[in-house]
Amino acid sequence: MSIEVKDLSYTYSVGSPFQKEALNGVSFSISEGETVGIIGSTGSGKSTLVQHLNGLIKLTSGSVKVYDIDLSIKKPDFKQLRATVGMLFQYPEYQLFEETVLKDVAFGPLNFGATKEEADAAAEEAIRLVGLDFEEIKDKSPFELSGGQKRRAAIAGILASKPKILVLDEPTAGLDPVGKREILRLITSLKKSYVKTVLMISHNMDEIGEYCDRVLVMSEGKLISDNSPQNIFADESILSGTGLSLPHTARIRRMLETQGVFLQGNPLSAEALAYAIADALGGRS
Amino acid sequence: MNRDITFGQYYPADSFVHKMDPRVKLILVVAFIVAVFLVKSLFSYIAITIFVIVGILGSHVPIKSILKSVRGIIFVVLLTAILNVFFYSGGERVLVHWWKITITVESLLFALRMALRLIFLVLGTTLLTLTTTPMNLTDGMESLMAPLKLIRFPIHDVAIIMSIALRFIPILMEEVNKIMLAQKARGADFESGGLMKRARALLPVLIPLFVSAFRRADELALALDARCYNATPHRTKYKVLKLGWRDAAGAFYSALLIFAVVAINASFWGLFGFSLSV
Repeated sequence: MSIEVKDLSYTYSVGSPFQKEALNGVSFSISEGETVGIIGSTGSGKSTLVQHLNGLIKLTSGSVKVYDIDLSIKKPDFKQLRATVGMLFQYPEYQLFEETVLKDVAFGPLNFGATKEEADAAAEEAIRLVGLDFEEIKDKSPFELSGGQKRRAAIAGILASKPKILVLDEPTAGLDPVGKREILRLITSLKKSYVKTVLMISHNMDEIGEYCDRVLVMSEGKLISDNSPQNIFADESILSGTGLSLPHTARIRRMLETQGVFLQGNPLSAEALAYAIADALGGRS
Repeated sequence: MNRDITFGQYYPADSFVHKMDPRVKLILVVAFIVAVFLVKSLFSYIAITIFVIVGILGSHVPIKSILKSVRGIIFVVLLTAILNVFFYSGGERVLVHWWKITITVESLLFALRMALRLIFLVLGTTLLTLTTTPMNLTDGMESLMAPLKLIRFPIHDVAIIMSIALRFIPILMEEVNKIMLAQKARGADFESGGLMKRARALLPVLIPLFVSAFRRADELALALDARCYNATPHRTKYKVLKLGWRDAAGAFYSALLIFAVVAINASFWGLFGFSLSV
């Protein structure tokens, strides 16, 4: 089991007028190899939840275990934890700071105790992995890069520490459709070759439906559903009251049903939907 | 978490003091400061204490939040008190005499007075910032600075600069918090090591912070331009400040305090035949 969360609760600013309950009795476990999506409206506790996985928020109630690092003990090994769980924040390009891209990407491994040579080697590997031209880019200032390149460089900065688990907080926010697709394709390819487990927060139901094999639905600090995207997006019942909507593919399937066209299963990618429609209309040609 | 830090430490509540006009509150705080400096006799300190306690009760701010501000200056208060005890010259009732140091009853009293004065100053101003939003404060200041228009002082520009600066403090705080989390996730360590190491550890936070501050300033300038900001010489306000009965009551109450302090200083001009100079 790579992640085990039990009865996790968290309240911000206890005792002040700004007190806010962010998490309430959340329990789930994730095994190695899964791609898990976390959805929920703004303020539902998604970010607070994933920040716990990296020890960025002090555990106050419940327990969190990542591999054999138990966060409920007095002094957990945060370095080890953060090297295991790579965390990509929203708009990660805003964390770039070094003079050169190479130095910036090597920042993580250096912090986790690698030598300069090891860190540079890891950085080179990571920069190539995210599809940037290493020779061209390594000595550039990160601030000279384009928006999409910056995001890739920031992702490389996380990957350079060779995490086993990758946590992504809205990895495609603020990118154009092409950029979005490229980042998602990158995550899929990383998942096959490099990181074992991926957790992804997203507001884009299409992405969640297409790329995740399990979805956690958060609402007002509670985990209200933990199921496959096919089941969660089967109809509106689970998502009602959360402010979330179905992916476009599921909505098209529902619309077809009202017209008397019933598809096999619940196709969530555009491609699968097209095939299902073709099948329902009397076979592919 | 920096979430607890709200600049200007505004404490949201629905109270008498909260509802007062910010202009009146500003003037009253100045009057209060004057009163604190007018104080001579220990009896007037009692008057001021009563005044402050009533003010706090009228603000519905828990005493804990108010004392927090005093805790911040306790070191300064103690230091000045100790220095005052040692360096106060004069006084006849000697308590301790050792080498060049003389401690007299008068020096102790003087130190106590100065310490109380500092504490009251902080309490008064804290009460203002706790009960007034930064936006209201700048509105109030802008309105009070109106006479400066006569000498062509750009009060409106100063006011907008002030309110933008105040508005951006919590945003930048949040930004610092986010960047720190992101760098911590990459293994940055802000808590251990010596002073130099810690200062250097802040670079990965400061650089992105500056970059984002400039980006935000740029975007804000564009947005102001796009809305033709400053194209009209006479801007109207969405929230017009209005004086109410609460402001009259507050002003009367503060006038009472100043009168009490002056009267006690003068032992009520001998009307009652006793002296209050302690």
